[in-house]
Amino acid sequence: MNAPATALAEAPVSARRWRATLLGRPRAAMGVLLVGLACLCAIAGPFLWPLDPNAPDFAAILSPPGPGHPFGTDDLGRDVLARILNGSSASLLVGLVSVAGALLAGTLIGLVAGYFGGWADTLLMRMMDVIFAFPSILLALAITAVLGPSLGNAVLAIAVVNLPVFARIARAQTLVVGQLDFVEARRALGFGTADILLRTVLPNITAPLIVQGSLLFASAIITESYLSFLGLGVQPPTPTWGNMLRTAISFLDLAPWLAWFPGIAIFVTVLGFNLLGDALRDLFDPREG
Amino acid sequence: MAAYLTSRIASLVPILFGTSLVSFFLIRLVPGDPAVALLGLEADERAIAALRAQLALDQPLVVQYLTWLGRVLSGDFGRSVQGGREVLPLLVGALGPTAQLSFAAAIVSLVIAIPAGIVAATRRDTAVDYGASFAALCGLSMPSFWLGILLILAFSVHLPWLPASGYVPPLSDPLGFISHLVLPALTLGAALAAATMRMTRSAMLEVLRSDYVRTARAKGIPGRLVVWRHAFRNARIPVVTLLGIQFGQLLGGVVITETVFSWPGIGKLTVDAIFARDYAVVQGAVLLTATIFVLINLATDLVYTVLDPRVRLA
Repeated sequence: MNAPATALAEAPVSARRWRATLLGRPRAAMGVLLVGLACLCAIAGPFLWPLDPNAPDFAAILSPPGPGHPFGTDDLGRDVLARILNGSSASLLVGLVSVAGALLAGTLIGLVAGYFGGWADTLLMRMMDVIFAFPSILLALAITAVLGPSLGNAVLAIAVVNLPVFARIARAQTLVVGQLDFVEARRALGFGTADILLRTVLPNITAPLIVQGSLLFASAIITESYLSFLGLGVQPPTPTWGNMLRTAISFLDLAPWLAWFPGIAIFVTVLGFNLLGDALRDLFDPREG
Repeated sequence: MAAYLTSRIASLVPILFGTSLVSFFLIRLVPGDPAVALLGLEADERAIAALRAQLALDQPLVVQYLTWLGRVLSGDFGRSVQGGREVLPLLVGALGPTAQLSFAAAIVSLVIAIPAGIVAATRRDTAVDYGASFAALCGLSMPSFWLGILLILAFSVHLPWLPASGYVPPLSDPLGFISHLVLPALTLGAALAAATMRMTRSAMLEVLRSDYVRTARAKGIPGRLVVWRHAFRNARIPVVTLLGIQFGQLLGGVVITETVFSWPGIGKLTVDAIFARDYAVVQGAVLLTATIFVLINLATDLVYTVLDPRVRLA
């Protein structure tokens, strides 16, 4: 690790400040708690509530919440709690992979555009502008529509629409960091471009990217639920919160619980990531908030 | 001002070029022959051959793109596979309902967000502020279709006051139009209100800290006047920017809201076309929506220069 001794405002955040920010404030602590809960459901859910999410029980079709089925059953008699727990992994997985993919690719684009400038900068950033020129849901929808509905294509679509956000932040940060003395020093010492970009510039531009990533994680989960709700995400019978709500809309008068629980699951998870993202922003950028 | 306007409009050219490329290649991404994709699998050989010639599919990609662009610019977006209607009138017909819904949602959001944001900022760190900020965060965390479903449950299923879905043209039955509009407008407006409220609050906080506001207070100007005349005038600038961005995102949000409420706008048209594999309509809708989105962003920038003369002079 090279610890750049510079005038950059991003001093490493001490463990004490991490703890104080994430656990000491009620909103941040709630974010940590909710995100932890969602992760727990995704990892341990099937063990905590070992009912088969896809096993139909035709004797118990559309039964309201009660003993045996705490969240009720759906139109095929499948247990809603088991399906929600099972669906949590799809939501988190799509969120994680798409945001991580956009973060990596966007950062690389931003690094190259910001560091080299000139035509590479113009070309890359114009491409990002074009992606930005589409309302994100519409573009994600169009991508999954032409490539076909599946988990992988949902991930790809959400990653593409988030790409410009990371690229712009990375570029702006690289423009600043690339001018600093320690980068100039590395150049003078004869280090290669890849080395300078990845080992000197990159470690100094990560904080705002990670903050943005945690906030985009929340919106990625919402976008995934939109795609699934419209029937363009993960395909049934594999449960996702979005496709469960798609089913629910046909039974609103008969079985309103089908609409409550998956919605609450999305809401609580997204709220958790939003609270956590706000807390991380306060941590890395004390000026805001 | 004229120079600024010209350069701003000129900057649209590469963006619009890019969006047209994306819309063009969208159909090329569909596995198989684009002519078959556009005409549907049941189309007969002769129609496919005719369209292949029309689209210049045996020519290089550049020629194909230019041919397509020439037709789009002359208003020919092709034909829908559902009933063979021309795409352009379909798109134009759907714009009205979408504009009505977006406008209503924008009003809903402004009526909620601006007062809430100002009150939260002027009473910073009180229970009012915490409550309003938390409510806004909840609004941002709620997928809009779920809010729509909850509203339908509350006001159509439990209390049968409002229709759960459908559309009535405003001129033929104004009351019916409004009763159909209420739930989708609330659904779409709520998400917008959440973001706008957060922006209003932080912009107001910034301005309330400034010297000239302190001077105004020191001169003895009543608090309410300071807030509205002095502080809010400047806090509007970032809020308008965000509103422009949000209004563009509204165009995305309508896709979901219109589908939930069967509102016959551009969003529902797009989703229905996706499921019918009606790619000519999908392509036209994507291109049109992106163009409107870009133009709204331009309009936002122009409003910005009116509100903040410094941008004009810079």
